[in-house]
Amino acid sequence: MKLARTITHLFLPNESNNLKAKILHSKGLLAIKVFFLLFQVVITFSPLNPISRILGYAANISPQEVIVLTNEKRAESGLPPLVENPTLSQAALAKGADMINKNYWAHVSPDGTQPWAFFIGAGYRYRYAGENLARDFSNPSSAVNAWMASPSHRDNMLSPKYKEIGIGVIEGDLNGIDTTIIVQFFGTNYSDTIPVQPIAQAPISTPIPTNTPIITPNPTFIPTPTSEVKLVNVSSEERSSQVLVSPFTTTKEVSIAVVGLLLFVLILDAIFTSRRRITRIGGRTFAHLSFLGMILAIVLILKAGQIL
Amino acid sequence: MKHISKHLPHYISLGIILVSGIVGFWIFQFDRLFQASVAVSVAVAYVVWGIVHHSIHDDLHAAVVIEYLLVASLGLIIVFSLIFRA
Repeated sequence: MKLARTITHLFLPNESNNLKAKILHSKGLLAIKVFFLLFQVVITFSPLNPISRILGYAANISPQEVIVLTNEKRAESGLPPLVENPTLSQAALAKGADMINKNYWAHVSPDGTQPWAFFIGAGYRYRYAGENLARDFSNPSSAVNAWMASPSHRDNMLSPKYKEIGIGVIEGDLNGIDTTIIVQFFGTNYSDTIPVQPIAQAPISTPIPTNTPIITPNPTFIPTPTSEVKLVNVSSEERSSQVLVSPFTTTKEVSIAVVGLLLFVLILDAIFTSRRRITRIGGRTFAHLSFLGMILAIVLILKAGQIL
Repeated sequence: MKHISKHLPHYISLGIILVSGIVGFWIFQFDRLFQASVAVSVAVAYVVWGIVHHSIHDDLHAAVVIEYLLVASLGLIIVFSLIFRA
């Protein structure tokens, strides 16, 4: 009986709550805000908390699938498929490991190492080179779609200059968050672009003309993997056993629950006040419903993952 | 519903504000800064709409402004917590 009274008091307009559900009062809304902020603090800053220890991003990313999806997008644009190059994949993995080890999320490392240095470090002599980065995506398709939605990343994926591709997928702790990074390296081997000399002709002594600039790596530093670097791709079995709770997904679920509850109570409030012809001082229920409806739509639209 | 149909231009303007927010988030799905700007703009516009609307109806009180501020800030906290965690 007491529980029923409490529920009615919290969620339905009646005499006990001055004809307005208690959670719609200023104190009720403030309490929801405090709860939400505390929840964020717990999952972000509490390393000793058993919940936050298991938090991490699902690493359900297969490098092969990223290549297949990339080639599908190229085929849709009438471009030839990229060929997987193990040296490029090794270079991509080294770049991912470097980001984890040095704790950065950028094309250029804090010590100024350019992405091209990883190509050279792995022994790949390139004529053209490109890099796409993605993190925190739960599946390869979302990452590829995110790249395609960004003009600069899309240009890389659909460039006719590239002939080869290498994918590195690596898991680790980046700025305190368990994450999965996808490094997508594109390249065209230098030897592929040098025309074969016909045997009967005299060798050309002049340099090969180039209409497009050749990207040159930083000659001062070639990164080499350290013993701390995880240079092993995580197997699919390991990945499936490591699928953990994502902070983004958890926050999204809690957000949907909070907004959904408020929408439900507001609808009940609108029905009660309309039927009983209650007039009171306060915001417009329809306006709050519309605003929170928009918030719910945004929460549903937002997807995990960042690209660079 | 009677109130809404009576003040249709008010609610149409509110609808435009809110739909703009959704469209902005949809188009710039991976632009965190733009999304944050859209969220703040829509929240501010919502509070301003509430103040103007109640002011026109001569029922603007501090409690009403606080209510709009609380709803808007709750929405903002939810959106920000997702944008900067994604």
